[in-house]
Amino acid sequence: MTLPSLALLVGFAAALASFAVQRLRLGRRLAAPFAPPRASAAAGVRYAFTTAFLPWAKESARKHLASYLAGIVFHLAVFAALGWLALSLLPAAPPAAAAHALAAVLAAGLACGLGLLAKRRRNTTLRAVSTREDLAANLLVDAFLAAGIAAALRPTLLPVFQVAGAALLLYAPLGKLRHMLFLLTSRRYWGTYFGRRGVRPAPRPLAGPRG
Amino acid sequence: MADAAAVERALEVLTDRLDERTAAFLNACVRCGLCADSCHVHLADGDPASTPVAKVERVAKLFRRYHTLLGRLAPGFVGAEDLTDDALQGMVTAAFGRCTVCGRCALTCSVGLDPSAVIRFGRTMLLAAGLVPKGILANRDAALETGNGMRLSREDVVETILWLEEDLRQTLGDPTVRLPVDEEGARVLYAINPREIKFFPLSISAAGAIFHAAGESWTLTSTDFDITNYGYFAADAEAAGAISRKVIERAEALGVEELVVAECGHGYRSLRWEAPEWLGRAPRVRITSFVEKMAEYLEAGRIRLDPAKNTRPVTLHDPCNLVRNGGVIEEQRVVLRSAATTFVEMTPNRAENYCCGGGGGLLAASEFTAKRIESGRIKADQIRATGAKVVTSPCHNCIDQLMELNRHYKLGVEVKTLGEVVADALIFAAPAA
Repeated sequence: MTLPSLALLVGFAAALASFAVQRLRLGRRLAAPFAPPRASAAAGVRYAFTTAFLPWAKESARKHLASYLAGIVFHLAVFAALGWLALSLLPAAPPAAAAHALAAVLAAGLACGLGLLAKRRRNTTLRAVSTREDLAANLLVDAFLAAGIAAALRPTLLPVFQVAGAALLLYAPLGKLRHMLFLLTSRRYWGTYFGRRGVRPAPRPLAGPRG
Repeated sequence: MADAAAVERALEVLTDRLDERTAAFLNACVRCGLCADSCHVHLADGDPASTPVAKVERVAKLFRRYHTLLGRLAPGFVGAEDLTDDALQGMVTAAFGRCTVCGRCALTCSVGLDPSAVIRFGRTMLLAAGLVPKGILANRDAALETGNGMRLSREDVVETILWLEEDLRQTLGDPTVRLPVDEEGARVLYAINPREIKFFPLSISAAGAIFHAAGESWTLTSTDFDITNYGYFAADAEAAGAISRKVIERAEALGVEELVVAECGHGYRSLRWEAPEWLGRAPRVRITSFVEKMAEYLEAGRIRLDPAKNTRPVTLHDPCNLVRNGGVIEEQRVVLRSAATTFVEMTPNRAENYCCGGGGGLLAASEFTAKRIESGRIKADQIRATGAKVVTSPCHNCIDQLMELNRHYKLGVEVKTLGEVVADALIFAAPAA
C-alpha cells in the first residue's frame, strides 16, 4: 500500500469516528412524540429525501434556479470524486474514456463551486453571514476537485488526489463540511415534522360537500 | 441589560438543554442564503439582518463557540462568538423583533432545516436571561395566575355568554338556541380565546349558530377555556405545558369526546401538537380545530350553506400555526367555496402563505409594533392583489393584525373569522309546524 493510500484510509477512519462521536453527542435525546399523527412521518421523510430535491418543490429553487443548479452540479461532482477516491484504492485504473468523462464532471463541479464562491463574495446578504471558514471550506473542496481532474487526465497524479482526499476527509467533521452528515439527520427531522403534521407531502385538495 | 448571572443562565441553556433536533439543524446550515426572500420581514425591510440565515446565525455563532472544536480553538475563523450581554441583546431583536417564528423559511431551506426551531431555542436562552419582551410575559403570567390571559373572571364569562345567547335567539328567531356552559356529558367542548369574550363576542355567537345548525351536543366552559398560550411564544415549555394542561384537563373532567379549538392558530398548534409533548402524554380527548369541525359538518350534510348570502369576493389568510405548522390546509377552502360566491386565493397560499406579521407573540410586544406593521406590508400587498372585499382568517391573532393592516395600508376590506362567514351563510331548517 502506498503512503497516499494509507493517508486516505486514515482520513476516512478519522472522519467516520469523528462523525460517529458527533452524532452520538448531538444533544438531548427527544422522546417519541405523544401527539397522534395527522399523516405519515415516513411519507414526510421519503418526501424530504426525494421530491423535496426537485427544482419545483421549493420556492428557493424556483426563484434561484441558477444557484440551485450550481449547487446540484457541485455536489454531484463531489460525490463522483469521492466515489472515485474509494475506487482509487483498488489496483485497477479506470479506462481512459471513463477518466475523461469523470474529468468533465469534476470540471463542471469545480466551475460551479467557484461560481458559488463568487456569489458569496458579491451578494450583500451572503457576505453579511459569511465566515472565513466558508471561503476555506469551498476552496478545500475546489482543490479536491481540481486534483481529481488532474489525476483523471494524468494518472501519475493519483497520489496527489488521494492526499487531497485525505485532507478533505480529515477536515470535513470540523467545519461547515460536516453538513454532509447532518444534512441527512436534519432532513430526517424535517420530514418527520412536516410528515406527521400532514404538511409535506402536500395534501390533496378535498372534495366539496355532498349534494 | 443582562447581568453576569443572566448571561450564565443563558449559557446553561445553550450547553445543557440543546436537543438533538435543534443541534442537527445548527450543524447542517451552510449559510447558502437561499432562505432570504422567503421571509416577510426581510422582504419588507430589505435588511440582511432580517434574513432567516442571519437570525439563525445569532444562535449558531454561540453554538459553534461552545459545541464545536474549531469554535473553541479558532473562533474567529469559524465566526464563533462568546455569549455576552451584547450577543443576547442582538438576539432579542433577531428572535422577536425580526421573527414571528412562522416557519416559512423551513419550507424553502435547501438543506432541510427548520430555522424557526433554532430561533425558538434562542428564545429559550432569552427567557433564561430574563430578556423576553414584557408584554409576552404579562400574558403568560395572567394565564398561569387566573386561567386566562386577559384575567377575566368566571362571572365576566358567564354574563357575556348569557347575553350572547339571548341575542342569538333574537337574531335567529329561535328560542331553542343555546350557548351551553359547563355541561357535563356534552360530546364537544368548544374552547375559546378570551379576546372573543372581551372584544369579539360575535365569533362566539357564530360558533353557537353553527353548532346549533349541526345539532351538535356541545358546551363552553366558564373556567380554563383559554386556548391562547403565551408560554409557547416565550419558549417557556414549563409554563406552556401548565397553560395547556388546564384546558385539556378541563375537557377530560367534563367527559367530552372532543376538544374543539376555536379559531386560533397558535392555540391549535399548542393544544394539538405541542401540549402532548409538554405533558408527556396523549390527551384522552380528540383535539380538533373549529375549521375541521365546520368542514366535517358540511361534508356530513349536518349544516347547509347558501353562498348567495356572501356575494362580496372573499380571500383567505392561512395562519402559519394552523396551516404550515398544524396541517389544517384544505378544510377552510372546502368551507369557503360553499359559503361565498367568489373565493379568491392569495398568492402564494396554503403552507407557503406569508405570515401576517403578527405571529410569534409580536402583537403583545409593543416595542416592536412599528416593525410588525412594516413587515405586514407583504400581507397587505397580497390582499390588495386579490381584489377581495372580505378577508377571512381562522385565527384571532391574525385577525387583530389584519385589522391593523387594513387601517394602516387603507385596504378597504372587512376582516372576519371563518366562522362569521359561515354563520352568515347558514341555512336553517324551517321550524316544525
